[in-house]
Amino acid sequence: MDLLSIGISHHTAPLEVRERMWFSHEEIAGALTRLKDGLFRECVLVSTCNRTELYGIGPAQGIDGTSLTKLLIDVKGAGGTVRAEHFHSVESGGAINHLFKVAAGIDSMVIGDIQILNQLKEAFALAKEADTMGPVLNRLMQATLHVGKRVRTETSICEGAVSVSYAAVELANKIFADLGKKSALLIGAGETGELTLKHLLGKGIGHVKIANRTRAKAEALADAMGGTVVDYDAIVDALRSVDIIISSVNSPSYVVQPEEVQQVMKQRWNNPLFIIDIGVPRNVNPAARKIDNVFLYDMDALGAIVDMNLERRKTEIPKVTRIIREELAGLLRWHNSLEVGPTIQEFRETLETIRSQEVGKHVNRFRPEDRELLDLVTKRIVNKILHHPTTVLKQGGEGNDHSNESILRVKTLRELFGFSGNGRDRHED
Amino acid sequence: MSGSLAVELLAVLMPVLYAVLVLLYGLAFFGTYPAVERVKARVLFAVIVAHLAYLALRTAVFDHPPITSLFEIMSVLAVSIAIGYAYIEVRTRTGTTGFFILLLALAFQTASSLFVKDSPQIPAYLHSYVLGFHVSAALLGYTAISLSAVYGLLYLLLYREMKSTRFGVIYARLPNLEMLETMSDNAVVFGFIALTVAIVIGILWLPRVFQEYSYWDPKLIGTIVIWLLYAAGLAAKKILGWQGRKTMIIALVAFGFVFLSMTVINLYLSSFHRFH
Repeated sequence: MDLLSIGISHHTAPLEVRERMWFSHEEIAGALTRLKDGLFRECVLVSTCNRTELYGIGPAQGIDGTSLTKLLIDVKGAGGTVRAEHFHSVESGGAINHLFKVAAGIDSMVIGDIQILNQLKEAFALAKEADTMGPVLNRLMQATLHVGKRVRTETSICEGAVSVSYAAVELANKIFADLGKKSALLIGAGETGELTLKHLLGKGIGHVKIANRTRAKAEALADAMGGTVVDYDAIVDALRSVDIIISSVNSPSYVVQPEEVQQVMKQRWNNPLFIIDIGVPRNVNPAARKIDNVFLYDMDALGAIVDMNLERRKTEIPKVTRIIREELAGLLRWHNSLEVGPTIQEFRETLETIRSQEVGKHVNRFRPEDRELLDLVTKRIVNKILHHPTTVLKQGGEGNDHSNESILRVKTLRELFGFSGNGRDRHED
Repeated sequence: MSGSLAVELLAVLMPVLYAVLVLLYGLAFFGTYPAVERVKARVLFAVIVAHLAYLALRTAVFDHPPITSLFEIMSVLAVSIAIGYAYIEVRTRTGTTGFFILLLALAFQTASSLFVKDSPQIPAYLHSYVLGFHVSAALLGYTAISLSAVYGLLYLLLYREMKSTRFGVIYARLPNLEMLETMSDNAVVFGFIALTVAIVIGILWLPRVFQEYSYWDPKLIGTIVIWLLYAAGLAAKKILGWQGRKTMIIALVAFGFVFLSMTVINLYLSSFHRFH
């Protein structure tokens, strides 16, 4: 496949370089229009916070990874910071393989990141708007999304929380059956605490309460999240009625003591109490962990869950690679079949031209009544010569596992008989 | 005689089928095999159907329901555990606990197949309808109690992993603590009621049939102890507000007594309540 791809990613460049190469939707549209104009038949540009990658089908003469990289840096006017060595460049099968790896999430910064598939969808949609999609990219898009879908359903590479705030939600789901019937209390402010509460709301937690030393802050957050405010001094009372506590207070001493928790547990009929202590130094005396039905986790414990999930995701990579190999083979087979038909056609036409020319040249040497027979015999000879090669080519084009062999055959045939370009171009024109 | 040969063959086959089933559920629990995930429920239903066919054939060939000896009853218990689990799997849409529960069914069926004997002639009193009620109630009770014990055990395993913050495969695969506890609790309530019915029928009916009946029989005392344990557990829950770990431990201890009652007492101690 005459596919050329260049890209910059977290593997090749630091953030301050990557951010200079970030394209907004408008910039992508502009760049695509420019690229379509004489450089590629079809192209798509993907830009996320971790990568900017360009995929182009049918590069014009003289366009290679180096020149394309220069061009893309120029488009962004980032010549000073971004250099050619920040980019990687891959072609044909390698480029498809890379795109599949991106879609599968194994090229992501956080392995198994599922956002990337939506970002790819978006990129293809933008290319469609800019009218730079064509038959090959369309098929490549389908295959890419299919890889993403298969990876999600057939492997567990996207499973398990890989951030501290999601780890807290994962734990909540391991303790409680229905978060809709539970309530949570956020003590203190802080980004991770708020994020955890947001995730819990996203999972449909029944009710949220917020306590802060500065009551105004608690009120503002409660308004934003649709919760109620609890007096900071009445936290221990609130423990009676909530099921989940997220604590992130800046305090040199413990905010909650085991004796208080023990007391509260009696009052709440031993209903499980899930405490997420993300304060550093810790807000809840760790001795409270020993109390029955109290599940207390600090930053280290949440970090352990994240680490474990990342490790587990890594073990899924071989399965993902297998899926990518299968899909890659399928795509190449399809692409190959695109070339087989036109090549056979061209093969047939070339031989027919030779035959009719030669017959035309010598037809006068034959008696008029033999001329029809001459035509018939020479046609038969040509057909017999064509029969076996076309059968073999068609078999390769219709699938089976010989796609690479078949690609080679088409290429050899085209070279031997001096067919120009590739068959598909002719076919499309 | 071909009928009894078929019964014998099926008796050998049943533990094998359960072993395959347990293997599939084990693979699904400890690894990731999408193909196994897809077929395991179907295999479960197939095994249940095969087992019911085996019991039906047994009934036809020996001309009595398979409840006349401990090992016949164990086979019925195995299939009723499997059916109970199938119901839970369909109802809760969680197929991850199957390995542990079906392991118990496999154990009961293996014991049954190893020791079961053909008994063409049985005492007349075993044809009684009252016996049917007594045995059915006891079986339902034991099934529920077995399920409650497995869920209790799973609860304790998960509870320990979560408390120790060393998260492993138990944490990754089991459903949440609340669900495990609810399953175990519901099974205990159901089992307790069924067991009560079985005991009441037993106490009222057995003395009329058995000459040697005694209220000091180990089987009766054992069963009463089990009943009291469950009653105490339920009371602690209602009155003292016990939840989670403690009640699950009670469920496990009580099941231990059930197991003893079914094996040691039935086989070695009981004077009546064994019929061959």
